Amino acid sequence: MQRILKERDRLLRRAAQAAGLTGSATTLACVLVPGGLDADARLWAAALTAIMAAGQYLLGSTGALRWAVVIVLSGTAIILIVGFTSHPGVPPNLIEESVIGLVGTAPICAVAAVLITTARRILFLVASFVFTFSCVAVATGAAPDRLVLLVLTVSIWLAFTIASWWIAQSVPRVMHRISAIGRAHRAERHASELEAQRRQDARLLHDTVLATLTLLAHSGVGVSPIAMQKQAGDDARLLRQLRLGGLPTPYRSGDYSLQPATVLTLGDTLDAVRQRFERMGLTVNWHGSGQVQLSSNVLDAFLLALSECLENVRRHSGVDRADVTITDDDTTVRAMVTDTGVGFDLGRVGSERLGVAESIIARLRDVGGNARLFSSPGAGTTVVLEVPK
Amino acid sequence: MSPFSDTAPIPIHPRARSVGSRLLGGPTERSWPPASTDRRTRADLSPLRFPHTILRGDGRITVFRSDQNGLGARHLGIGMSISGGCIALFLLLRLIIQVDPTHLPVLSILAWAILLATAVTVNLRVHKLASRMPPWLFLAALGACAIVVALDLAGTWGAAGAAPFATAAPAVGAFLLSIVTLRETGEITLATGALGLTMVAVTGLQSRDDLLTLGPDILSISLAVAPPLIGASIVQAFRRMVQRELDLVLVQSTVSQPRFAVGMLASEQLARLDLDAETLLDDVAQGRTALPLAASTATTAASLATRLRQHLIAGRTETWLHHALTESEFLGPVVMLRDPAGLAGLLSPPQRDGLLLTIWLLIGDTARAGASVSLSLGPIAPTHGAGAPRALRFPIELTTTGVARRRVDPETWQAIRAVGPHVDSNPGGSLRVDIECSVDNPADA
Repeated sequence: MQRILKERDRLLRRAAQAAGLTGSATTLACVLVPGGLDADARLWAAALTAIMAAGQYLLGSTGALRWAVVIVLSGTAIILIVGFTSHPGVPPNLIEESVIGLVGTAPICAVAAVLITTARRILFLVASFVFTFSCVAVATGAAPDRLVLLVLTVSIWLAFTIASWWIAQSVPRVMHRISAIGRAHRAERHASELEAQRRQDARLLHDTVLATLTLLAHSGVGVSPIAMQKQAGDDARLLRQLRLGGLPTPYRSGDYSLQPATVLTLGDTLDAVRQRFERMGLTVNWHGSGQVQLSSNVLDAFLLALSECLENVRRHSGVDRADVTITDDDTTVRAMVTDTGVGFDLGRVGSERLGVAESIIARLRDVGGNARLFSSPGAGTTVVLEVPK
Repeated sequence: MSPFSDTAPIPIHPRARSVGSRLLGGPTERSWPPASTDRRTRADLSPLRFPHTILRGDGRITVFRSDQNGLGARHLGIGMSISGGCIALFLLLRLIIQVDPTHLPVLSILAWAILLATAVTVNLRVHKLASRMPPWLFLAALGACAIVVALDLAGTWGAAGAAPFATAAPAVGAFLLSIVTLRETGEITLATGALGLTMVAVTGLQSRDDLLTLGPDILSISLAVAPPLIGASIVQAFRRMVQRELDLVLVQSTVSQPRFAVGMLASEQLARLDLDAETLLDDVAQGRTALPLAASTATTAASLATRLRQHLIAGRTETWLHHALTESEFLGPVVMLRDPAGLAGLLSPPQRDGLLLTIWLLIGDTARAGASVSLSLGPIAPTHGAGAPRALRFPIELTTTGVARRRVDPETWQAIRAVGPHVDSNPGGSLRVDIECSVDNPADA
């Protein structure tokens, strides 16, 4: 609420400043027309206009009531000086009438913008208007255009006060609408983040999807089209379930459960990986512990690394089976992936494969793990993956 | 477990489903075009309801331009119209007062009739068009105004002092005031300038025996020009305020985020990538795409996999503050954040609110070019058994350029106090605040 009032007052002060300074500028232009005012009166009127402009500027930057008082007093002083001392005894000439008309309107009524906020200030506003109006009436006693000047004063005061009052009403209205938009947006963000979280939680699903996409990126070479189609169909179905709001987790039975997964047991997920490679023609033999609990991001990195290793075996080793041994102690979970395939010279690894290996190692290191690679031509390959518990 | 831990189980919210299906077109739609990375622009990935808030630069301005009356301006416009009406009423009264029954100013009366007809027509049209003023209507109105000015100035042409005063021409200014919320303020200012120049030119061309007759002309011109100019300046300030406040409330929604989170844009993109992958895989499964894949489809699969991988690991180091700064149009370009450990994520919601508001007030209130803020969080202070054992303490160093201490809003200090005890200094004429932050240790919670 405080912010709203602050913004409202800032806008009103700006309105007061704009209206006041514009009015003072035109007043000064009128005062300076040669032959209009008597020399002394012109000097005084110009000086008072300067004071009034200073008051308007300060009112615009501080909003303090004293500057409004300064404006009203200096403005009415100009009206009275021009009306009574410029050419006493004769009816005011056109310039004098115009100066009175100009000063009585915009420069003084600018205070209305900062005076409509509280009851006390409104009282002061009414007093200022009555005072200004009386001064105009008194100063133009014998003027031929007296009626026009009085109507002008009333109209402009009315117009500016209405405009200011309306601004004061508009700001809280728009602020409330903005905060309603903010609330809606918060709900939107919350929902969108839950959605992202839900999708990120489906990491195992994404792992198999990523593996399949990687296969497709190599045009599906090396896998029978039937197996490829079946794998793609399974993954598409899982993604559709995810899109429709479920959280599919592949299980050993082949069913899918709809539950959030934040801490997963290694055994179940390893089995899904095994099934996937089975389908693509690589038999994976598991050895060792399966009931290891890993936190989600560690498991994520671990499984991705493992899948990539097996994918490398499938594509490059030339054999159709691999052994994975899982061991764990108090602090570490370790997976050893071995194959009896062609192996390769570590010193001459192709740059594209090194890229994959680097991303795997970097990802394991992100969660505090490590990977080591042992191989030589003709002697198979062994990869050791380690992650902290 | 801390409520801000990223591993906390999060219940599936019913809305999550609706967002997903609304985004992706529901369960019945399956055959979306496959991913084509080159055709995708940021606008394609825009969030649903507030496209202008997230996309910096390309989305936001156009939205506001095409929807000038979107927020609050319609209400403000009514006030401006009434205000303009008061001024027009005065000018009409002046015409009636000065009219000579034996010599009717036919042209001026005709000008008034056209002006009133224009005002009424424009009002009805705008009402019909849901408070919008299309360019054709604006140009048509300006054309009518030009006729009004020409007729009225022709009708009041004559030796200065002897001829009647122009009334319909200044009333065009009041009309411009009444439509000031419907168009860009620059256009209104331009139209007002043209009106003012025309009146000044006519005043200068009139034969003048006595300089004193300049007085009423100055009064007339200022009556024509000042109201729309002042109105335009107010409306401009109003629009700027609305835009800033909108930006603030939208960014403030980040304070309720968990410690690390993906931004709004990222989550939409992840959904989109999943859908593209689904479409691709489905096409393969159904035999619509022949195996082995063509090179182009294989490339698509590779790039999908890469981007999916990036998105799945994204959001693990980005805090709410990062998202707030990147999503904000006002803060983004001028605030530098250094928070390698993601400590901002540990702040409690009131502390976050205070920090965001502090930056906001420092940047927003100065409203000057060249003001910038740089934030540095951490490192975590070692605890020597002093203080609350479960608390984690780290400093926030807030340095600014171009923000003088004496110009800082008092509310800023209140906001800083919500973050923690602070020491402020003024090196090189610009504010610097060191805040000592104390938060719950996430390991203990």
